[in-house]
Order: sequence, then structure tokens, then C-alpha cells
Amino acid sequence: MAEHVILFTGPMGAGKTTAIQSLSEIEVVRTEATNSERHIVDKATTTVALDYGEILVGAQEKVRLYGIPGQRRFNFMWTILKKRAKGMVLLVNTDAPDPIGELLFFLKEFRELYDKGGVVVGVTRADLVEGPSLAEFSDALERTNPGLVIPVFTVDPRKHHQMQNLLLTLVVNIEMRAAFGMAGAR
Amino acid sequence: MSTGLHMKPDVVEAASALLGEMKDAASSLTYGALLTDDGFDVARYPVKADGERFAGMASSMQALSEAVAHELKIGDSEYIIIASGKGHVVQLRVPGKELVLSALFDNDATVGHALATTRQFAQKMADLLR
Repeated sequence: MAEHVILFTGPMGAGKTTAIQSLSEIEVVRTEATNSERHIVDKATTTVALDYGEILVGAQEKVRLYGIPGQRRFNFMWTILKKRAKGMVLLVNTDAPDPIGELLFFLKEFRELYDKGGVVVGVTRADLVEGPSLAEFSDALERTNPGLVIPVFTVDPRKHHQMQNLLLTLVVNIEMRAAFGMAGAR
Repeated sequence: MSTGLHMKPDVVEAASALLGEMKDAASSLTYGALLTDDGFDVARYPVKADGERFAGMASSMQALSEAVAHELKIGDSEYIIIASGKGHVVQLRVPGKELVLSALFDNDATVGHALATTRQFAQKMADLLR
């Protein structure tokens, strides 16, 4: 059975745990703790180690889904998790103070996952606030990382089908780049 | 909106005093930290140590131990021990609180003594916060 290991990254509050919960066909392994930073992101709990879920794509391809804790103070977990991943779903919430800055920060931190497989971006909470448009996210990527092929979508992490489309786009992207020798060299 | 325990001066003061008392009771204690469930440093011994990174790591370890206990259906994770050539790390939750006590002892302490001491001071911290 073929396997993919995909990392869900992005800032606290972007919807990483919710996305893995929506996608996973097994009970998700969660490491939630009470959030002390409700003045920054108003949610009751936050991931402090990892999330883990699994989904089958087609009949024979298992995708292992890992989620990072979004806060910088957990970056030791980022180092551990990025070693095992071969692709990244980068989620950014438009109601973050600087969503484009967060996008570029996480892409830079996890850039090796583009080289190892591929990256897709999911813009979340776009229906709640007037944030940057998809074109502005794409332009920022093109300006700072010219030549990279990174699809950008708006998604609702609670919706299985939207997350599945995002994940399938990434898996196809990884497989095409591997087939053409454009990824996996590192 | 709730404020994290690491931002409450009375909690930080009590936690600092408790770690000092713990060192007086166990000379083999070389590092001790009280931290929030979500990885914020509340107090540490020695005070001058940089506790931020360790607090994040200890909170991840605590959450992973609880996830493993849940996965294996063995009840709650009561404590974590890391045994190494130069000492033991003992870590457990302050009973009933969103606080974790993590302590490093040198090899002059047995694992049993280290665990008993850490348990005793975690309970003291819980009593102080009652």
C-alpha cells in the first residue's frame, strides 16, 4: 500500500485540528490543553504536541495526517514532525493580525516540504472577515518564492469535502512532481 | 476571559517559593519547573535558567503521555519518568490543576525518592492554590 505523510501547518487558530478531524477515518490522536492566550486567539483549547489522523485515498493509498502546534514556542515539535513529512497543507486564517506574513513565515519554516513533495495553501475564515483576497495571497507567494507551484484555495476546515479536495490536490501535485523528477530529491 | 496561571503574580510567587522549598528538601534536585498545560513557564529553579523552551517541551510530553494512556485505555497518565546516565526527570500534574511539575534529579536520588518528592510538592502546590 502506498503511503503519504502530510503535515498540517499554520498559525494557532487556523483550523489545523479541525481539518484533521474532518478528514480522518480513525479516531484522531489529539494533544489539547487549555488555552492561556485567549486574549490573542479566543478558543478554549490548543494543540501542544501534535494531532494525528489517517485517511485512505482511493483503495490503496493511505495518507497519514499530522498537525503541528501553531505557536512558535513549540517549534521543537516542528523540527520533529517535518522530518517525517513529504508534503504540507498550510492553513492561514484571514482574521489573523497579518495573514500574509503568517503564510510567508510558515512557508519559509517548512520550505523543505515543498522540495520533498509539495505544498497547498488553504485560506480559512474568509467568510468571517474582509481579509486579503486569494489573488493577494498568490501574489505574495509569487513575489517571495518565484517559480514555486503552490495552489491556493479558500476552505472551511469543518467541511470534509472541501478538505478532501485540498488534500487530493496536494497528493496529485506530489505524485506529478515525483513522476517528472521535480521533487523528492532531498 | 480567563488569564493564564503564568500571568497571575500570586501563583508565580507561590510556585517560586515552592520550588525553593523543594530544593531545600531534596539536595539532588538540579532543575525544577512549574508550567501551564499549554507550555508557559510559571516558575523555575534555578531562577536564572531560561525556562521557556523547556516549558513547551514538558507540556508536549505531558499531553503525549495522556494521549498514550487514552489510546491504550489504561486510565490517566499519573507520572512520566525519563531515566538517563546523569539523572532522572520526573514529571506529573499538579492534582486538579492545569499545571505540571517537572523536576530533574541527579543520580544521588533513587527514582523512588525522586518520584515521592515530586508527588509531595505537586500536592503542596495544589493545596496552595485551593
